[in-house]
Amino acid sequence: MSTTTSSSILNITDLMQRVDDDRELLAELFFIFKTVFPAHLERLSDAIARNESRQVETESHALKGMLLNLSAPRAAAAAGALERMGRDRQSDGMEQAFAELRAEIEALVSQINEYAINPLP
Amino acid sequence: MRILIADDEVVSRRLLEKTLQNAGYQVLAVQNGSAAVEELCKPDGPRLALLDWEMPELDGPAVCREVRKKSEPGYVYMILLTSKGLKTDVVAGLESGADDYLTKPFDAEELKARMRTGQRILHLEGRLVEAREHMRFQATHDALTSLLNRGVIMELLGREISRSRRERVPTAIMLCDVDHFKEINDSHGHLVGDEVLREVARRLLASVRSYDYIGRYGGEEFLVILNNCDALSAPGRAEEMRKAVSDVPVQTAAGLFTVTTSTGVHQTENWGFRSVETLLHEVDGALYAAKAAGRNCIRFAEPNMAAAGENSPVKHPAETLS
Repeated sequence: MSTTTSSSILNITDLMQRVDDDRELLAELFFIFKTVFPAHLERLSDAIARNESRQVETESHALKGMLLNLSAPRAAAAAGALERMGRDRQSDGMEQAFAELRAEIEALVSQINEYAINPLP
Repeated sequence: MRILIADDEVVSRRLLEKTLQNAGYQVLAVQNGSAAVEELCKPDGPRLALLDWEMPELDGPAVCREVRKKSEPGYVYMILLTSKGLKTDVVAGLESGADDYLTKPFDAEELKARMRTGQRILHLEGRLVEAREHMRFQATHDALTSLLNRGVIMELLGREISRSRRERVPTAIMLCDVDHFKEINDSHGHLVGDEVLREVARRLLASVRSYDYIGRYGGEEFLVILNNCDALSAPGRAEEMRKAVSDVPVQTAAGLFTVTTSTGVHQTENWGFRSVETLLHEVDGALYAAKAAGRNCIRFAEPNMAAAGENSPVKHPAETLS
């Protein structure tokens, strides 16, 4: 059983290094993420419901890339698991994997909000 | 330096854009592979590109393949951005024409270092192209006057004579020789002679049109090919060139010299189907006739003139000009 730590949800040290300590850019990236991820999740949910493996793979891959860039390893790993399932056309367990991904992203958003960085106007 | 970023994923695209802007690059960001190809294939498009592997429409490797097919000059240095870690994927990416790859999520310092590598390669390519162009110029131009050298002007002469016959367009050839050049050399030295030749070449070049050709035929002889120049305009063109040289004295280290030229002219209507060598022989005969007539004048060649030589210089309306 893995232990959930704040750094496994959002590795802020790693992320700050990636944005070169630019807090304004960090806030902008969080804002972009919070704006776009719901649509990704919705499309992913639809693709799972319709059993469209290729679409599951594409959407999961996009989310994984975003989450890796945001240094969110647990959520990225969950997206990666779904991506593999899509690529392997493995529909069994997709719903469960999706639920895990959604939970990880919710945890990530909470963590982001905890940093009290205001979204850009 | 301009750089193109192609990434459909918005967080990654913005992060790359800002990181590279902070590093001093001018960034052009696009969302898909087709837009990337369009930008990179423009004549003045970015020469450095960072391409996400997975994109809608065209993926990164497909962009590399399309760009490598382009005919525009100038190398485009392309880096693939990928979360694919398998060696087979990396090999496939590089085989598509990519120069390098970077693994997601990228490290800012590594990204900037790889961009600098790309810039070094592009800089090196620029220097090679420059050196090649310099060598090409040296191989085709006369070192003293920077006019076309004898080999090139002779090749162009053959080509233009053929074209003139094929397309039935008028062309004139002129052979200009600097009068009493040996005296300048003997009296004032070769460096002054070189100054005179450079200035005469400059004036002759300035008096022809962009689609005419002029080359150094011999020591102080210049061969000129006037395209679309018919029998009516050839005398006037030849006279303009004569006056371009003679009207204003040439400034040299040894002082001012009045320099004149003698010119032989040959026109399409008199060419028939004779060889380049025969035509040159005839225009040389006309030049010889101009020398015999007192120099600083123009004479027109006619068939068999070379055989007649200086004994029967051809009279032409242009003679009244000289």
